[in-house]
Amino acid sequence: MTPPAGDVRVFADYQGDFTEEADVVVVGSGPCGAVVAKELACAGARVVLLEEGPPFTPDDFELDGALSMARTMREGGLRATRGYVMPTMQAMALGGGSLVNSAICVRAPESVFARWSEGFALEHTTRAELDPHYDAVSEFLGIAPTPENVQGRRNLLFKQGCDALGISSESIARNVRGCRGSGECFTGCRSRAKQSMDLSYIPAAIRAGARVLTSVQAQEVLHEGDRAKGVVGQVVEPLTGRTSYRFRVNAKIVVLAAGVMATPVLLQKSGNLANRSGQVGENLQFHPGVAIMGIFPERVEPQFGATQGYQSLHYIEEGFKLETLWAPPGVLAVRLPGFGRELKDRLAELPYSAVWDAIASCHRSLGSVRARRRGLDPLLTYRLDPEDVKIMNRALWVLAEIFFAAGAKKILPGVHGMPDEIFSLKEAEVLRDRPLKPTDIVTAGNHVFCTTRMHGDPDRGVVDEDGKCHDLENLYIADTGIFPQCTGVNPMLTGMALAHRTSGRIAEHL
Amino acid sequence: MAWVFLLVAGCVAIVAARRLFFGYAAPAQPLAALRLGEYAVVQAAANAVYPPGGALEASGEQARVGAYADRYLQALPARTSTLMRLLFFAVEHGTLVFAAPGPGGRRRFSSLATEQQVALLESWRTSRFFPLRLIFTSLRAILTMGYFASPEVLRPLRLAPYAIETPVREADLLFPGIGQSRASIRHTAADVAASRETSATPLDPDGPLHPRFRERT
Ligand SMILES: Cc1cc2nc3c(=O)[nH]c(=O)nc-3n(C[C@H](O)[C@H](O)[C@H](O)COP(=O)(O)OP(=O)(O)OC[C@H]3O[C@@H](n4cnc5c(N)ncnc54)[C@H](O)[C@@H]3O)c2cc1C
Ligand code: SF4
Repeated sequence: MTPPAGDVRVFADYQGDFTEEADVVVVGSGPCGAVVAKELACAGARVVLLEEGPPFTPDDFELDGALSMARTMREGGLRATRGYVMPTMQAMALGGGSLVNSAICVRAPESVFARWSEGFALEHTTRAELDPHYDAVSEFLGIAPTPENVQGRRNLLFKQGCDALGISSESIARNVRGCRGSGECFTGCRSRAKQSMDLSYIPAAIRAGARVLTSVQAQEVLHEGDRAKGVVGQVVEPLTGRTSYRFRVNAKIVVLAAGVMATPVLLQKSGNLANRSGQVGENLQFHPGVAIMGIFPERVEPQFGATQGYQSLHYIEEGFKLETLWAPPGVLAVRLPGFGRELKDRLAELPYSAVWDAIASCHRSLGSVRARRRGLDPLLTYRLDPEDVKIMNRALWVLAEIFFAAGAKKILPGVHGMPDEIFSLKEAEVLRDRPLKPTDIVTAGNHVFCTTRMHGDPDRGVVDEDGKCHDLENLYIADTGIFPQCTGVNPMLTGMALAHRTSGRIAEHL
Repeated sequence: MAWVFLLVAGCVAIVAARRLFFGYAAPAQPLAALRLGEYAVVQAAANAVYPPGGALEASGEQARVGAYADRYLQALPARTSTLMRLLFFAVEHGTLVFAAPGPGGRRRFSSLATEQQVALLESWRTSRFFPLRLIFTSLRAILTMGYFASPEVLRPLRLAPYAIETPVREADLLFPGIGQSRASIRHTAADVAASRETSATPLDPDGPLHPRFRERT
């Protein structure tokens, strides 16, 4: 098969309704969809990759955190769950979450796969079986530990605190080439160092012949019997979301990689497709994150250094992972307590601060994704299980320990009912000793999972180990929604490794 | 009887219209998304939460928080911006139910004396009634993001973004800026090759700031 030359279309190119023919149509250009598009284009398939968001060039990046979120994220970055109210961000851009994420690349530990294999009848989803796929993605993206010269003091203080307590820690491996330590991964990498999909997998897919259509929203999967026929949707104006021309892509194979919140909505809007198990949109899981700000006696200059440069996997079996963190100052400052002069005093301490966070493996806490009557924005519900809150309770205490071991003069835990500022480890014992309620903690959940989960049993899951929907012959899902449970570590790399495996299986059928 | 009812309804309508629409001063710059009343409440609240002086010199007004909120509202999708407008409405007219201390405590928020605004927001911050705390927290979040967008606030803290040289990548030959056509792409393969040679050194703390954040001379 000789693929046609690759092509790109942006909003300005659309002049009317149109139809495309393809071997494979991939919906969503995030890390998982981008891998599928590139691998299948390289395998000689005629691939059409659809993305609702526009490409962002460095001139389009907005340096202010909130304004950037309003441009790059769904619902202006203010999406939240109901029930337990927790903000959750999903990007809408060429490259999906990779445009705004911190590029952290971690392989899920063997114990996670052991739980998956046993609990979800997934015989071939072991770490050993996935390692070649991890290797392929890692090599392509140049994933490597963050070098010392771009760590900055904020990251190194974390290591210092961990070392003092005998807690293992390590430099974070990231998909970057030539990071300058600007700490602004969240608003887009102006140094073009981060290997987000728009800079890496998608250009490679185009080189291999893929057609990439941006600013198009897939609205329905066309199907007949147990076969998907393609997708239909509309052109969407960047930033305003106004819809216009209609399009249709006829394809032999349909791959949904629209993300954990959007893929189930698309299935629900397509006549409750692929849902014989009743699991579409169920089992929603997060890694809720908690963070503490520490203030040091000397200036930390926290804006310098890789956005997230250091981590500790020491407590992974207890259910949490520790990391350093930086975000635009306006976004971080929102957490600071107080009012008037008191608040100003705290803001003035930001140059002396470091923020470290913990992400918790909350697989007891579940939610759901439902289509609304109009549009494709989901209705999200979530309940945080008290047992999972205990993990965060413990993580907050460990973070406090590390801060004081690293020489912090005070910490701001940002927990309701606790002191605004804590000046010693002794005082911080309240974080260890007082059980927290879900509503006491301020969390955010940007790692999302499980709404189209993989299960060996067609009655209990939506896709099989190849990512193929149990109910349809030629409909695949490749996003972090297929994880049967959360990973406990940052999900992008595992999502890409699974997508790499799925691409191989699809290629066998072409 | 009916005319009495009509008279009362008419009076109520006039009072409501006055409260909602009149007496708001126009800002120096025209507004893109905020209404005059919304701008007034943002500016007033910004000055109450960020008074002049103290550890950071600029007040909320000096940091042009109102102009920021205007840009932010414009950038938000319709459903979210409606929620934002509701928030501003609740702050401005919440005084009808939760009056500020002192004389005239039921006037709209932006017409209260600064001490009354401060006292009112403080009472909401510490209220046992969750919705009031939520209103305060949401309002303060927007004000804080606006305050921290100001070069006058970020520069003295040395938190302003730096100028960063942006190398040209293969993607820059494929994708134009948002809203532009591909014909607008000016980069060439030679630019990509030249960029490959630029070294990736850590940012220089003494390097120049991003032009938007430099001090105006
Ligand atoms: C701020 C932030 C920081 C993060 N940091 C890290 C990190 O450092 N490391 C890590 O491992 N993970 C991180 N994550 C999570 C990580 O980014 C996601 O797990 C990852 O992006 C998921 O990839 P995906 O391909 O499944 O989905 P997504 O990245 O969400 O991509 C889905 C794409 O589909 C598009 N789409 C949706 N619906 C439609 C439709 N109807 N039609 C057409 N297109 C559609 C979307 O616009 C989007 O581009 C972070 C997330 C956020 C928000
Ligand atoms: S820290 Fe800065 S230079 Fe490094 S990848 Fe992130 S945005 Fe790019």
